[in-house]
Amino acid sequence: MKDFLLTIRRSLRITLRQPAAVIPSVAISVFFLFVYNAGLSGVSNLPGFHGSYLGFILPVAIVSGAVGGAGLAGQALIRDIESGYFVKLLLTPARRLAIIWGPMIAGAVVLVFQVVLIVLLAWALGLTSATGVAGILIVVVLAFLWGMAFAGYAAFMALRTKSAAAAEAATFAFFPLIFLSTTFVPKDYITSGWLKVAATVNPTTYVFDAMRSLLIDGWQARPLLLGFAVTLAFATLTGGLALWQARKATQLNE
Amino acid sequence: MTFSGGTEGTAVAVTPAAFAAVARDGNRSIVVESLTRRFGELLAVDAIDLEVPSGEIFGFLGPNGAGKTTLVKMLTTILAPTSGRATVAGYDVTTESEKVRAVAGVALQEIGLDALMTARELLVLQARLFGIEAREAARVAERLLRTVDLADVDPRKRTGRYSGGMRRRLDLALALVHTPRVLFLDEPTTGLDPASRAAIWDEVRRLNRDDGVTVFLTTQYLEEADRLADRVAIIDRGRIVAWGTPAELKRTIGDEAVSLTFADAEQAASADEALRPLTGQRQRSGRELVLYFDSAAMVVPDVVRRLDEAGLRPQDLSLKQPTLDDVFLRATGGRLVGGEDIGSDAPEQAS
Repeated sequence: MKDFLLTIRRSLRITLRQPAAVIPSVAISVFFLFVYNAGLSGVSNLPGFHGSYLGFILPVAIVSGAVGGAGLAGQALIRDIESGYFVKLLLTPARRLAIIWGPMIAGAVVLVFQVVLIVLLAWALGLTSATGVAGILIVVVLAFLWGMAFAGYAAFMALRTKSAAAAEAATFAFFPLIFLSTTFVPKDYITSGWLKVAATVNPTTYVFDAMRSLLIDGWQARPLLLGFAVTLAFATLTGGLALWQARKATQLNE
Repeated sequence: MTFSGGTEGTAVAVTPAAFAAVARDGNRSIVVESLTRRFGELLAVDAIDLEVPSGEIFGFLGPNGAGKTTLVKMLTTILAPTSGRATVAGYDVTTESEKVRAVAGVALQEIGLDALMTARELLVLQARLFGIEAREAARVAERLLRTVDLADVDPRKRTGRYSGGMRRRLDLALALVHTPRVLFLDEPTTGLDPASRAAIWDEVRRLNRDDGVTVFLTTQYLEEADRLADRVAIIDRGRIVAWGTPAELKRTIGDEAVSLTFADAEQAASADEALRPLTGQRQRSGRELVLYFDSAAMVVPDVVRRLDEAGLRPQDLSLKQPTLDDVFLRATGGRLVGGEDIGSDAPEQAS
């Protein structure tokens, strides 16, 4: 446990020393919130759409910020690998898991701050939550877990490629994850057959659904359980992959 | 004459039980048996056997790409062996890697520092990860900064703005936070200026003498191995080709040497032929011919006369003490330094 606290604290400190790295992902969130809310809010007037469009689009802003922010964890690992500091950490008796997950958890913590910022912004724009502050807190928890899941993916790619450019390219998975989903309109409104299938397969859809149910519909068990189940499964998968890749990387490389 | 390797410590256990007994013997810090590492087709480390007694400075000398770093990485648990076994302070590097890490200090050839952190932050974090509690870690950091002469540096200065020598010294300090019993230094002075090199040498000697730290040091510098190490192993293409104290190694090839340089390799070959009756211990590498004698000054007139008879005029003739480079040449057929002759013009081994 102590190893985790040490590596998380170090990663947070490093993140604070390079604010320029955090700004793009915050900017993406803000962009989504402002531009799509301004441009698409008319959608909420369509028959069959209930609730505000702000509550509908906020999860997209949060999740896109989460994905961008989580990419930071991958970049942090790449930085350590390229500087040789990663090996210095491996030479300590500290738990391997702490060395890999430290930057990931730190990335997710940064993400929580981002999410709080975005929610405050949305609130200023007139956001209402059907489940109150408690629902918003759960939205933040979901965002944290989703950030961890994507951080695991970013860390996996970082350890696998060991190149900043390749790991950066890997974060382009961001686009299908965010956009092949119920990004702008509810599933019923999607007429394209393939997009409907993609949206059903895409785990992001269930995160959107869970967050939207909290903001728009009130407490509902099904979307919440599905959202958490999918997120946890995804996080476990990518976290496991990252750890496996780390074990492999430390054994095979010169 | 046939070359013989080490004259002591060559007894290596054969059976697993015997290996275990040797490995746990507190008098031996490092025991390596038949350790091998392949990278695809490349045999980087080829069945190396090795023992390093506790309290010794052991020098591992070899050219770039000889397998030094691969061996160090296996001994420090960050690279798995393809086959074979090794223990550090009695712990198996594969099955007890965590215990090995707890007692081994490691400074690799590639410096590993976070450019965004300060020296104190790095030292404290490293100490904490070695299980040292916060207040003690801060004390350790201050002490080590003084040791490696970085205490007067602006404490807010991040390591990204350190010079090469400062980074190397800090990297060494990071290897010492937990007062290791065995210290691995992989080419610790490569690329350093003479002053920084001397400072590192002094510190390694002090650690060995005052704290009883066993040191395993790899180097491509003869002088470093000669001056620092109690015993030296010479590695070439993944294999140990010679092993002993620097004095023993040098004695195997004669006490003094006459070094001759000719205009071209052909002349050197003719001279090699002409001087054959004088001594069996000759080595030729490119334009250079070295003859080893018990007392070289006595035979110089003979050498000159025979060259004259053969119509050969050396561009340079000098008397010298054999160096570890001569040992390396004898064992591998190539020069360790200034090795432009290695490969294409393999010397004839005198015998």
